[in-house]
Amino acid sequence: MRPLWDTLSAVTGPSFPKHRGSFATRGQTPLRSVLLSAGNPSPTSPRGEQSAVTIKNLAKRYGDLLALDDVSFSIQEGEIFGIIGPNGAGKTTTVECISGLRVPDSGSVSVYGLSPQRDRYRIREFVGVQLQESALPPRLRVGEALELFASFYSRPLDPQEVLQSLSIKNIERTAFRNLSGGQKQRVSIALALVGNSKLAILDELTTGLDPEARRGTWALIERMRERGVTVILVTHFMDEAETLCDRLALINQGRLIALDTPEAIAAEAGVNRVRFVPSKPVDDKTLYAVQGVEVVDRKERYVTVTGTGDLAASLINALAAMGVQVSELEARHGNLDDAFIRLTRGTASTASEKVRV
Amino acid sequence: MPRLGGERSRRARAQLVALLKVQAKLNLREPYALGPGVGIPVILLVVFGFISKQVPGNVANSGLTVIDLYVPTLMVISFIAIAISLPATLVRDREIGWLRRISTTPVHPSRLLGAQLIVDLVLAAVAVVIIIVGGTVIFGAGLTVSIPFFMLSVALAVVEIFSLGLVVVALVRTQTQASLVGGVLFFALLFLSGLWLQPVLVSQPLRDVMWYSPSGAAVRAILYSVFNSRPPVTTLLTLAGYTLVFAFVAIRYFRWE
Repeated sequence: MRPLWDTLSAVTGPSFPKHRGSFATRGQTPLRSVLLSAGNPSPTSPRGEQSAVTIKNLAKRYGDLLALDDVSFSIQEGEIFGIIGPNGAGKTTTVECISGLRVPDSGSVSVYGLSPQRDRYRIREFVGVQLQESALPPRLRVGEALELFASFYSRPLDPQEVLQSLSIKNIERTAFRNLSGGQKQRVSIALALVGNSKLAILDELTTGLDPEARRGTWALIERMRERGVTVILVTHFMDEAETLCDRLALINQGRLIALDTPEAIAAEAGVNRVRFVPSKPVDDKTLYAVQGVEVVDRKERYVTVTGTGDLAASLINALAAMGVQVSELEARHGNLDDAFIRLTRGTASTASEKVRV
Repeated sequence: MPRLGGERSRRARAQLVALLKVQAKLNLREPYALGPGVGIPVILLVVFGFISKQVPGNVANSGLTVIDLYVPTLMVISFIAIAISLPATLVRDREIGWLRRISTTPVHPSRLLGAQLIVDLVLAAVAVVIIIVGGTVIFGAGLTVSIPFFMLSVALAVVEIFSLGLVVVALVRTQTQASLVGGVLFFALLFLSGLWLQPVLVSQPLRDVMWYSPSGAAVRAILYSVFNSRPPVTTLLTLAGYTLVFAFVAIRYFRWE
């Protein structure tokens, strides 16, 4: 048993920066292209650090459904890597291929240089997994589950310290069936960590938790980062991805459609939103004709326009040319949510909007 | 690499001990195996023990008393009850994702199954001892146990009936199916073991149906061996045949998730 955990417990939450040093590097390196067309070669490491996980051209089919189609990316050591996408996009299949629970049809997975299939028992020593839908026997107690899992690994953490650091020492003798949702998730994290894992795979960890329990879980993940654990976080909450993740892979219909920092994905998806009050009524046709405009919404006297490029300037110029003044102008960058919706909407809906023009 | 091997087996032992501890505790907290596996035979032992004292003498000219005949039946009933508890717990553990969760660790879920089977073997042994001691000392069964034949018969019976339990675990998908199939199987096996009608009391062909059924054959083998006789070869072969078939089906169709 190693008391490694106390370095973790010593950390006092908000004092450490969110993106540990990577901002500086990002500032110097030109941002990589965020939109990857399918079939691109595997992206190389932006920071040149040792990669913890490398996936190349991964494909998986369930019957007629193509769950994964040529997905490639690599995850750096110590990174919190988010996998986001709509329901059924292939997020869970991706992490199951990494943990060795599923065998891909083609492509390769390397976890610290090992293959999840060939070296499955060696990989399991240092990969901790939290499964999306997995429970413990109802009468098993928290402390017993942790002791049991600790016994499975060759260099486990001390279960007592894990309990302490996750603030679940008080439920050590509580049976699993009597735990709340948030407590169950904490136990699930504890089980994923007690083996002293280098890589933790957390699949939809905060789904079904109340806002407070979610925040608490986020703090735990931040502390895992502090300990140097590489974390793969599968989520469909954009705020969660924005808060926690160093980088994101956005998967839609089995394809990797974006791979970058949350900020870069939000920025490069290029969604902007402008709200204003026109001095004279303006019809939709006029607005859609302005370059970059994609969606026009009206509420009372306000007009909200979403689109790409320098929207505010284009709109003001176009409307001024028709003698329309713009007041109460409010412009903002889209966040990850907007980017997510734009990127996952697919080509079909974009085309239909063009028809409206 | 002897050191590495030593380290590996030391760890495997530690893992097994930890699993045994957990499975033993869970079996005490949710006594699906303990209750029926030991409780039912003990209650029936008392019931048939008193019946035997009320109606002494030989049943249907078999030369045996009621309690003599019921000692093997009660042992097999214990094995059946324990075997039927296997689907109750293992199908649930599979359905809730517990076995899958374990398969993400360095330990394969088959080790959990192994630990559970060891716990079940201990329970079966406890039941056998209670039935033998209680049957002879308290209720005066005139047993003359042939140790080698008895060991052979009990071992075959346990492996056969536990394998049948594992067949259910392998073939059903949900807990609802497990309790349905388990329930039907439980009463069928109980009947065939002679709980309601001892095979010596029924006429052919039902008697042969019982003697050559999965639970009846087990009863017959044990019956011979507790009266210092070699069980009929056909009975031993029947038991071995069932064991092979059940074990094959269980292994062939077993699923961990």
